[in-house]
Amino acid sequence: MRRHYEELAGNLLSLGEDVKSVVVTSPEPGAGCTSLCLGLGAALAGMGRKAAVVDCNLENPSLHRMLGEPNFVGLTSGLKGDRALEQYGHEAVPGLLVVPTGPVTSDPGLLEIAKFVEIVRGLEAGRDVVILDAPVARRVLRSPNLSGGFDGVLLVIHAARTSKSTARATTDDLLDAGANLLGVVLNGVVQEA
Amino acid sequence: MRSISPVGGPGWQDEQRDDFLLSELVYVMGRRRLLVAGTMLVLVLVALLFGLLKEPVYTAEATVSVKPREDLVNNEEREAFMEEVRGAVVTQRLLRGVMRHAGWQAGLAEFTERLDADPFVTRNGETGLQVRFSGSQPEQAARAANAYADLFVARVERLNDERLAGGALAADALVERRATPPAGAGLRYLTYAALAAGLGILLGGACALLLEGRTRSWRDARDAELTLRAPVLGVIPDYSHIEEG
Repeated sequence: MRRHYEELAGNLLSLGEDVKSVVVTSPEPGAGCTSLCLGLGAALAGMGRKAAVVDCNLENPSLHRMLGEPNFVGLTSGLKGDRALEQYGHEAVPGLLVVPTGPVTSDPGLLEIAKFVEIVRGLEAGRDVVILDAPVARRVLRSPNLSGGFDGVLLVIHAARTSKSTARATTDDLLDAGANLLGVVLNGVVQEA
Repeated sequence: MRSISPVGGPGWQDEQRDDFLLSELVYVMGRRRLLVAGTMLVLVLVALLFGLLKEPVYTAEATVSVKPREDLVNNEEREAFMEEVRGAVVTQRLLRGVMRHAGWQAGLAEFTERLDADPFVTRNGETGLQVRFSGSQPEQAARAANAYADLFVARVERLNDERLAGGALAADALVERRATPPAGAGLRYLTYAALAAGLGILLGGACALLLEGRTRSWRDARDAELTLRAPVLGVIPDYSHIEEG
C-alpha cells in the first residue's frame, strides 16, 4: 500500500516546484478522495516532505471521521477567524498537518470568498505540498476558487464505482473549464493474484 | 516515475479530445474481443444460411450494337431511333423464339420478368441494347441473354431486308459482347460471408464501445489513460478487505 502512495507522491513531485497546492476531486462521491488525500499526505511526509491535508468538502466532511476525531475547529474557523489556518489543524503524523472542515454552516458561498484561497495558500509557506480534499467535480467546476485558485486538480477515479463515460465527461469538463488537470489517480484497483 | 503514455507529455491538456482515436477503438475491441468475434460469427452464419436457403440469382449481360444507316444529328434522335428499333423488333414472337433457343421451360410472364433489355446511347453517339437476364443457374442466364441478343440481331437484319421491299428501318446490328456465365455460388457465399463479417465487426465494435462507456470496471493505468486521455499519476489497489479484516 505504502509503495503505491509513494509512487503517486513521487509522480506529483515530479510535476515541478510550481505544484504546491492540489485540489483532489472525483466525478462522484465514494471514489475514495479522503483516504487518498491522507495516504498521499502520509507518503509525502514519509518521504521527508512537509504536507498538509485540508478538508474542503463542506457538504460531506469526512477527514475528521476517517481519523476518528472531532470537528470542532478547522477550515471554517480559519475563514472566520484571524489566525493562520495551520493553527486550526494538527499533525496527524510528523510532517503531515490535517485541517478538518470545522463547524459546517449552511453558507454555500463560504469557499467562494477570496480569503479561502488566501488562507490555504498561506499554508504553502510552511508546507511543501497542500492537498485539498474537495467536493465532487461538478461542485468544483461551479467554484472558481476550487477550479482555478490553486496549482492543479487531481481527479480520483474508483476502479469499480466510477463509470467510464462519467469519468471521461468529467475529465473533459475540467479541461474545458480551464482547470489545470494534473492527472488521474485510479483508486480501488483489484489486483490479480 | 511518472506514467508513460501518449497523453502524458507536456501540453497534453491542449490536445484535441473530440476525435476518436484508432488506438482507443483497437483497445476497446481488444477488451471486448469475445463480443466482437461472437457478433461477427453469428452474422456470418446467418448470411451463409440465408445464402443456402435463398434461391440464387445469377445475372448475365450481353451487349448489342445497333448502328443507324442514316446520320443522326443528336442524341435525342438516336434515342428515338433506338426506341423505334426496339418497337419494331421486340414482339411476342421474338420472345417465344428466345425462350425456345434458351431452353426456357417456364411461362412467358416469368421469362419477361427476368429479362431486362434497355436501349442505350453513349456520350459519343453510339447506340445499342443492353440485355440482362437473371436466372437461377449461371449457364441458363448466359444462354437466355445470348439468345435474346442473337435473335435481336437476326430480326434487325430481317427488317433491313424488308425495308428493301418498302419497310422503314435501316440499321446494322451485331452482338458486341456475349454474355458469360456469372461467378459461381462459392464466390457468392464468400461475398455474403465477407459482408457479414464486416458488418459483424462494425456492430460488435459499436456494442463494445457502448458497453465500455457504461462499465464501472477499470483494469489498470493503461485502461484509464486510453479512456480519459490523461496521465495516470497513481494506481491505488483495493484494500477494503484489509480494512474490514
